[in-house]
Amino acid sequence: MSARVGGLVERLHAAEIDLADDFRTVGERHAADQDVFHLCHQLAEQCAARAERLRSIAERFGTPLHEPTDKPTIDWLLSSARRALSGLVAHRPETGLVLLRDLRQLYVAAEEIDFYWIMLGQAAQALRDAELLSAVDDMHKQLLTQVKWLKTRAKEAAPQALVAG
Amino acid sequence: MSVVSDRTADIWGERTPYAASGAWPSRVDQHLTVDPGAVEKWVHSACALCSNGCGLDVAVAEGRIVGVRGRADDRINHGRLGPKGLYGWAGGYTSDRLTQPLVRVDGRLQPTDWDTAMNQIVAASKKTLSSAGPLGMSFYTSGQLFAEAYYALAMIARAGIGTPHLDGNTRLCTSTAAWALIESFGADGDPGSYADIDHCDTLLHVGHNVAETQTVMWARMLDRLAGPDRPKLVVIDPRRTPAAREADVHLAIRNGTNVMVLNALLNEIIANGWIDREWIDAHTAGFDALQAVVAEHPAERAAEVCGVAVEDIRRAAEILSSAERLVSTVLQGVYQSHQATAAAVQVNNIHLVRGMIGKPGATVFQMNGQPTAENTRETGANGLLPVHLNWQNDEHVEILAKHWNVDALQIPHWSPPTHVMQILRYIEQGSISFLWVNGTNPAVSLPQLGRVRELLGRDELFLVVQDAFLTETAELADVVLPAAIWGEKTGVFTNADRTVHLAEQAVEPPGQARSDLEIFIDYARRMGLTDRDGQPLLKFATSEEAWDDYRRLSEGRLCDQSELSYAKLRESEGIQWPVTKEAPGGTERLYVDGRFHTASGECESYGHDLVTGATNEKDEYVAHDPDGRAIIKAAPYVEPNESPDEEYPLSLTTGRTAFHFHTRTKTGRASELVAAAPSMWVELSRDDAAALEVAEGDIVEVASRRGRVVAPARITHSRSGLVFAPFHYGYWDAAQTADPPTAANELTLTAWDPVSKQPLFKTAAVRVTRVGPGEGPAPAPENTASQRVGAP
Repeated sequence: MSARVGGLVERLHAAEIDLADDFRTVGERHAADQDVFHLCHQLAEQCAARAERLRSIAERFGTPLHEPTDKPTIDWLLSSARRALSGLVAHRPETGLVLLRDLRQLYVAAEEIDFYWIMLGQAAQALRDAELLSAVDDMHKQLLTQVKWLKTRAKEAAPQALVAG
Repeated sequence: MSVVSDRTADIWGERTPYAASGAWPSRVDQHLTVDPGAVEKWVHSACALCSNGCGLDVAVAEGRIVGVRGRADDRINHGRLGPKGLYGWAGGYTSDRLTQPLVRVDGRLQPTDWDTAMNQIVAASKKTLSSAGPLGMSFYTSGQLFAEAYYALAMIARAGIGTPHLDGNTRLCTSTAAWALIESFGADGDPGSYADIDHCDTLLHVGHNVAETQTVMWARMLDRLAGPDRPKLVVIDPRRTPAAREADVHLAIRNGTNVMVLNALLNEIIANGWIDREWIDAHTAGFDALQAVVAEHPAERAAEVCGVAVEDIRRAAEILSSAERLVSTVLQGVYQSHQATAAAVQVNNIHLVRGMIGKPGATVFQMNGQPTAENTRETGANGLLPVHLNWQNDEHVEILAKHWNVDALQIPHWSPPTHVMQILRYIEQGSISFLWVNGTNPAVSLPQLGRVRELLGRDELFLVVQDAFLTETAELADVVLPAAIWGEKTGVFTNADRTVHLAEQAVEPPGQARSDLEIFIDYARRMGLTDRDGQPLLKFATSEEAWDDYRRLSEGRLCDQSELSYAKLRESEGIQWPVTKEAPGGTERLYVDGRFHTASGECESYGHDLVTGATNEKDEYVAHDPDGRAIIKAAPYVEPNESPDEEYPLSLTTGRTAFHFHTRTKTGRASELVAAAPSMWVELSRDDAAALEVAEGDIVEVASRRGRVVAPARITHSRSGLVFAPFHYGYWDAAQTADPPTAANELTLTAWDPVSKQPLFKTAAVRVTRVGPGEGPAPAPENTASQRVGAP
């Protein structure tokens, strides 16, 4: 029983870590859109914090999970390169379309995670695990707010990117 | 009558103490530049040099303004005037007023006539419309015009051109005030009355240097503090402001930590049971979530993050908890800082958990900075639709479409109107190629000036600037239009407690200068902007007709002014909206029955998540319809975007001084005000100055990742780690040079609040280095927050 829930937690954990990475990457690629840059980094921190809480949950299900391994030098180089590139192409109208594409990809990834959280919440109910249920509820809500922000930002960006000029 | 000798030396004037619920005594301040017998007429008006809106009379002789006198019976000031009000009007009379239109010829601005200038603007508009459509057009207006001009501009942009890209410089000033009120109470508009200062037993100022930003409001508070039943005073501000010196508790927090300290105060108030549970249950929604979030912000944690003593947080909480009539005020220290809307909303929450709103002496003021900011917001010339209509509510948009006689689809309402920082981003991307700036000076007032100058100066951008002077922004323009200013035109404006005044024209504008309203009407006519029947879109020709059209639109809304005619305004000494058939004399307080403007059909917005700015959709709001309950919204503290580090170890904040307004376009041309604060300075704390071996008046360089300024240093009593720079000083006058640069916004960063989209001017990491000795003390005032350590 718990092994299967453990498997779900493992998937969710990996997906949250990927989403954190994706938020950081998109933020850096759109450093010229300062709100996207700052907020994506903030949301990446939220994903990382959820992953951390999932690691402590996983222990209870006998599936210990590991922190993502650091690739500091490579990460730093790529991150700097993306930010520099964003500055170089800031004046190009296509950056609006690239932003829409990136928001869509984040949205798809976050929706998948939404689905995992729904599953984990159902399992918590069936397990009568109040502690897990409350943790899932908290984190699921936070994820849904991220999804909502992605939609908000995309709605704002779409008309200018698609129609102007 | 007090004929003022020097209001710059004695900023708040002599004390007229009074007791709780007593009448604030009158004290008429007057300043004349001629013999009183030479005054030919006095013209009824109100001061437009801060958001207080003091009633005054303008003295006229030989066709010129020659002085001002406070109106003893005006509900706002009871006769008083501050330094800017007394002296600032003279700034309109310098020889460098713009008196004719200018157009750029061979790279230089040359005088021309109105036809030539307007035809160029129309040709550029049509070119942009044909190549990029309405989304290529943008407008950036002010917080210092009158309601009628904003309203005309909103009609032109929203219904005529059909662009969402219209914003006001209220975005830098009070966008957060509007959003804090909307998020908590469902609609813009401060709930209380200035008379609540008379009734309160406790005052709380959060990021509000009231003694300098609204000097006459502070005079009223000082008179309470000097009288019997002295109210308790709590001040949250990193600087030792004049109010902080009077405070029972001064929490000199690290800038950027407002949410932390406010959550800690709320946690103390709730944990100690100092709340009105019955009122909370009857009139609010969301308390449980607040309780859970603030519990994560205990006083000990806040003390560490904010850099203040835990005992002081507890003492402040006790004072707020023992208050029976609490008045709180909030301004730029919150609105322009990190987590702006989230922090402003927590001040609302203090009032909501204590049930202290809608009663005499119990209210929160989400203050305005500029004199007519309320009107920019009300008329929809910034990020909202007119008369507080909700862009997400189709029935609301239909009200507007019907009134303007256009198709609802013509009015952009697919997302919120575009904020100015995003307009700049679209200019950077090249998708906006036309920008019309009026009554504001973004080349000095927006963050990260190097970038702003580059964008506004682009060849690809057609820039129109409408102003009274050749500002730093006008220098970059393709066409410059000379505008009439206060005293030279008639119009309505509204202050921070919803008090409406009519400012009458006293004199003719100089040369060919025209009122903003005339210019907009002329543009609409030349552009051939029409309604759905092919009739002219703007059906008014005078300011009174424009006002009448606007007040008809307001009927039935919270800001209903349908019964507020020019005739009624002429007879009034300031009148608070709503002004309706039921309340023909105005309305002193909103929400007196504990019913707020949050019902889904009437609210101005469905609200946002305070951390991300994610917009709530109609369906989810309707599903949990607060239906008149105030909404208690919680937000956890989040670290600022840019914190001090090894390379840039100090934290910059910017702000005002009592003697100037914005980029000094007027105040920098009034001799008394110039003498009081002639040129740029920066402020350092004692500890930092000692560590940097900087003495008072030494020249220092302040550098951030974006730029640098060089100026004399003033050593003050502010908290250590803080650098303060006044934002007034640009480059138009001889007192300043562009090399080395002096404008504070060379240093600030491009970032904004996720909800209000207000740029953040209060947190930037900087480093300071001593350049060399100066010539005596820094040219900073001594009788303000800039008071130096060891001052006589």
